[in-house]
Amino acid sequence: MKASDGRTVGRSVCYALAVLLSISQTVRLPAQDTSRIAEAASVLGPLIESYGVSGMEAPVRETVKRLLPAWAKPETDTAGNLWLRVGQGEPLIVFVAHLDEIGFTVDSILDDGSLHLRTRGGFFSSLFEAQPALVHTTHGDVSGIFLPREPSRDSGPARRTPPPLRVSVGATTRAATQALGVAVGSTITMPKRFVRLAGSRATGRAMDDRVGSTAQILAVRHLDPTKLKHQVIFVWSTREEIGLEGAAAVAAALGTAPKRVHAIDTFVSADSPLELQNFAVAPIGRGPVARALDNSAVTPPAYVDSLRAVARARGIALQFGTTNGGNDGSTFTPYGVVDVALGWPLRYSHSPAEVVDLKDVASLGDLVQAIAELW
Amino acid sequence: MNRKASDSRTVGLTDGMRAVGMSLVLSLSPTVRLSAQNTVDPLTIRFSAMTAVSGYEQAMADSLVALFPGQAAKDRVGNVVLTLGRGAPKRLVACPLDEPGYVVGNVTDEGYLTLRRVGRVTQPLFDQQNLEGHRVTLFGLKGPVPGVTAVRSTHLTRGRPMLAEAAFTVDNAYVDVGATGPAEVEALGLPVLTPVAALKQPHAYGGGLLAAPVAGRRAACAALAAAVQAKPRVTGMVVVAFTVQSLQASNAGLESVKRLAGPFTDVSVVSVPSQFEGTPVETVALADARAAMQRIVEWMGGRQ
Repeated sequence: MKASDGRTVGRSVCYALAVLLSISQTVRLPAQDTSRIAEAASVLGPLIESYGVSGMEAPVRETVKRLLPAWAKPETDTAGNLWLRVGQGEPLIVFVAHLDEIGFTVDSILDDGSLHLRTRGGFFSSLFEAQPALVHTTHGDVSGIFLPREPSRDSGPARRTPPPLRVSVGATTRAATQALGVAVGSTITMPKRFVRLAGSRATGRAMDDRVGSTAQILAVRHLDPTKLKHQVIFVWSTREEIGLEGAAAVAAALGTAPKRVHAIDTFVSADSPLELQNFAVAPIGRGPVARALDNSAVTPPAYVDSLRAVARARGIALQFGTTNGGNDGSTFTPYGVVDVALGWPLRYSHSPAEVVDLKDVASLGDLVQAIAELW
Repeated sequence: MNRKASDSRTVGLTDGMRAVGMSLVLSLSPTVRLSAQNTVDPLTIRFSAMTAVSGYEQAMADSLVALFPGQAAKDRVGNVVLTLGRGAPKRLVACPLDEPGYVVGNVTDEGYLTLRRVGRVTQPLFDQQNLEGHRVTLFGLKGPVPGVTAVRSTHLTRGRPMLAEAAFTVDNAYVDVGATGPAEVEALGLPVLTPVAALKQPHAYGGGLLAAPVAGRRAACAALAAAVQAKPRVTGMVVVAFTVQSLQASNAGLESVKRLAGPFTDVSVVSVPSQFEGTPVETVALADARAAMQRIVEWMGGRQ
């Protein structure tokens, strides 16, 4: 066993232990649920704690590869997407979950050593102001802070949105910052952890879309590749948050060959005291969600019915709804490929405190497996 | 970016005196110098990871008592007090333990917890930067419980009127611990008045800088604790107090020590300069904490 393998096993044991400890002190779950949740947590945890701002997804891609079963032989394309082909024959079905997360890149290094930033993806910059920062360089991570705004000199109420954010790595000159390995183009995030909450719930940043990546890994682990009746391609895509770019490269490469694509991505839920309840009301903990309508694609109603039948055949609770956002599958639709997007309900999207229910994660893996095997 | 003292009351040495005193200490007492280097940094980091919401400082106070077994005790207000030396003069050196934070104010039918702020806050973005969309810790009857504070989903604001530009306040805070109703909240041991604070993750950066909520206060108490651990030579009697409730209107902890253990001929409150005071990334230079420790040792020895 290599040293890296030992670390992997140790980390998995830690996650499993954390799962058991937290469950024991709160709501008790059936033994079957406990083991399924433990497996989901053991996959999701390392993915959450890998960093991969759009365009710099390599650490997350390596984590996915490490978590796949030994028989899986994935390949990376020139856009950075990870492909895993399983089974043979028609029809070709594609699943796609994205590797990347929101964050920043270094736009320039100022004379005082601080970093001017460029955002990657959409989010509230106020959530990063005055928080710890990590600059990801080719030489390793450099710690810093997202600088708080200067105290206001007017007496009016404080504004929510800060001026453009800057990061300090504690250096006071451009040269000193560069000496740490920080360069224009380096990506920046804040430190993050996967943490269990009460019952089967968990929090962490970048659940979007590490949960989708987890579901695909769980499905691959559980299916028997020799028994698939047609070819399935699992894709872990890049640069979704900045315009579905990785998936677009996959769609162009496959052209009209696939019959369906299943984007496995967040269903941003209004299950929160702060949200309007007009739509997107899919409570967390009640199963995956057919993302039948969003800002990029509409699933034909007949396909929604078929999806419902697949879920029913495996006894998987399935919710249906509409939410905001785009999905990778929409890049396939111009090629005549039907996008049947799936998600799981997520609270507080694109924040450092995203919350999921691990029962939904495990069930989403079951649903991906069921679609691959039955549909 | 000017450094601000975390407390306007300092040990009371001029810079010149400090320099002279420092060189004397360094030349006469190398063991103290080594001790400072070895203990102030880890104590600053350790204390910065602790939470002591004003009026609810018991856990941190207990940790301090354990740090000085047989020497320190809590007085009836909750201050941690110990005495060095004997005779006259009788002097007091103190640092404030407490910090602004929150307690649980109510539990909703859906299992969210709402909050009431505790302690004086001068930073108008305190609630926004410590709560909205961030991890918190609830110090419940059965131990610490992780939670997060709800924030609107970015995606669901698209195409809708923008978020209010007024800063987020505690009245908009819903803490999500993963519970689905009041019964689960109760099972977790989180009744009304449970202390709540932002997650403490001391963050070292920049070669000797440390960012954490109330880092300046924690560094001051670390310097004081390290000074006691260094077993300095003491002139007369020095009462050392880690005080509670400094952020309440009456500064009850310090005033109580003065009345319960005084009178004192001199009272000094330790401070360490900090940047970005009142934010989650309040920053101290660990070298400043070490320097503060040296000044305390000198002061205990009678140098003014």
